[in-house]
Amino acid sequence: MSQDTAIEKKAVCKRPPFRMLPLGFCSGCHYGIIYRVMDEVLEELDLKGQSICIGGGGCSTMGAMAMDLDAFGGPHGPGAAIASALKRVYPDAFIFAIQGDGEQGAIGLGSFVATAARGENITVITMNNACYGMTGGQLAPTTLLGMVTPTTPVGRDQNIAGYPMHGPELVAPLKGVAYAARASVHTPANRQKAKKMLKAAFEKQTKKLGFGVVEFLSACPTNWKFSPVDCSQFIEEKMVPEFPLGEFKNRDKKE
Amino acid sequence: MAEKGEVIIEEMFCKGCGLCEFYCKKKCISMGKIGSGGFPIAEVSNPEECTGCGICGWMCPDMAIEVYKHVAGREI
Amino acid sequence: MTERILSTGNDAVARAAIAAGCRYYFAYPITPQSEIAHFMSRELPKLGGCFLQSEGEYAAAYMVLGAALSGERVMTSTSSPGIALMQEPLSMIMTAEIPAVIVDTQRLGPGTGTGGQQGQTDYSFVTRGVYGGVNYPVLAPYSVSESYEFVQLAFHIADKYRTLAMVLTDFVLGRMTEYLDLKTFDFGPLPEKDWALKGKDNKGGRTDFLFTVTGMMLDIPGFFTQQQAKANKIIESETRYDTYKTEDADLIIVAYGYAARASKRAVNLAREKGMKVGLFRPITLWPFPKEALRQEALKAGKVLVVEDSPGGLVDDVELTVQGGAKVRFLGIQARHTASAEGLIFPERILQEVREML
Repeated sequence: MSQDTAIEKKAVCKRPPFRMLPLGFCSGCHYGIIYRVMDEVLEELDLKGQSICIGGGGCSTMGAMAMDLDAFGGPHGPGAAIASALKRVYPDAFIFAIQGDGEQGAIGLGSFVATAARGENITVITMNNACYGMTGGQLAPTTLLGMVTPTTPVGRDQNIAGYPMHGPELVAPLKGVAYAARASVHTPANRQKAKKMLKAAFEKQTKKLGFGVVEFLSACPTNWKFSPVDCSQFIEEKMVPEFPLGEFKNRDKKE
Repeated sequence: MAEKGEVIIEEMFCKGCGLCEFYCKKKCISMGKIGSGGFPIAEVSNPEECTGCGICGWMCPDMAIEVYKHVAGREI
Repeated sequence: MTERILSTGNDAVARAAIAAGCRYYFAYPITPQSEIAHFMSRELPKLGGCFLQSEGEYAAAYMVLGAALSGERVMTSTSSPGIALMQEPLSMIMTAEIPAVIVDTQRLGPGTGTGGQQGQTDYSFVTRGVYGGVNYPVLAPYSVSESYEFVQLAFHIADKYRTLAMVLTDFVLGRMTEYLDLKTFDFGPLPEKDWALKGKDNKGGRTDFLFTVTGMMLDIPGFFTQQQAKANKIIESETRYDTYKTEDADLIIVAYGYAARASKRAVNLAREKGMKVGLFRPITLWPFPKEALRQEALKAGKVLVVEDSPGGLVDDVELTVQGGAKVRFLGIQARHTASAEGLIFPERILQEVREML
């Protein structure tokens, strides 16, 4: 039997160079997984040196703070407008805005749709946790019917609060939109697919083809009041049927 | 012979979410240890079974886990 | 050699921004200042700049913030209803300490449908700063040439102190036509913008995080101490005012904007009739020229505040004078007609001066 005294170790998964760790997210929140995917794609596409990240007004800013990029964070709602303007100053930089589902579908809806309609060469990443996380889990545009929140104490009722909103599907038909998709990271397989979608979205910006949006389903254990493991199940069983994963638009040429 | 992996957990970053335990196919990780914060955190309870697939590391929301594969050792 | 042209106030604002090197302008149409946007939409592309019409005033001000993260000179302009909508982004600009310029071509408030009406009802709103109690400098021109000069000065002040700077014009100033001598003003040296976001590669690997979360990096009292120190510097170095025939005056009129133009004529009419009247014109509405006004007011003994509003400027005058002189206010009730075209004319001001003396 040989003696293994000199063992070479090959790194399979190394800690990414975030400037601020640990991250500020709750235990089991998927934002950390998603930010890491963003970091990997930026690294693989060699975009970090020219990137500026616009964090939103909510949990997402903590990620903008942590990544080792020039970043700004974050007022609640106008991420798409801020990113649009900065891209006009730096047309060759890589500008992306991160927002919550409330920013995409409620307070920032005007800017989100206008930016998509203008076909701005920026990428918006929306974090969909079906509630307003940082403020305590209130009703959001993407809250599921029947879901209990502090502002829908008996469950979301379509007669009072309407139906969940689907951001990427909403803007996909617009000519200015080059890429619109929804991803999740609740299983390793979905994480891999998410990475591919994010890469495709980012490439639309580098090729100046137009606007890209990727919405990520994310767990929110604190506000859903499930354990992190049960949250992954909730995403699989309840969120994915309402918010299908996949691409809604992927065009290779300028419109 | 199956590849050998090694998982290193940075306890300061672990928030005890349990996703690594959930996703590990070989049941190498368990939430058995009480960390400095007073709550259960991840520990490599079954290091012999680890193949170094990396899933625990990539799925950790807090970047607490690093994964290595052992390349075959040299005879002495 | 400077070129002399005929220009409206609104065009002068646009020309001034371009002279100051502003190449990024974001705005939303609103009467009576849309002409600024018309001008910029024509001229900026010729200079390699960018004019983008936004999806609302709130978005326009956030676009200013976004573009200004780069360190470039950026501007927006709007009128009174727009200023109300922009309050949140302006507060963010002040918290993150991003230099930016905004022009408020004020009109009658409250409500809407007043685009075709002169008014000076924004005074209190803009001089009390953004929500959170942090003040930004406000410059009040009273002519086309001053509009032109003060917009350039605003860019300089914004860059010097890392603050929002506002130029407060109005309907009359924006639309009136006067001679304008075109020139690029040089107000002095400015610090490097090493805080700007550019991308890691352009900063030798260094990255910065600019943020709008109050007190995030400092403690809360520390943030306010820092802001007060900045405000004190601005108060010390940038307070501006103008006096006209106040040396021997028995009564001084205090006014800004178009009311100051009408008041100046009233001063001349009064002097023709042997009345010793002068005009004190605050140029920075914040910082308000308290010491200078107090001196002039106590010397004269009588103060007439003229502002086309239900009240605003008169509060600051009374605070400054502190009972040391008699203060009377001539406001919106003094307009020559009750309908939309109402204005405060010099003859009406003269009538009030006569009554006081």
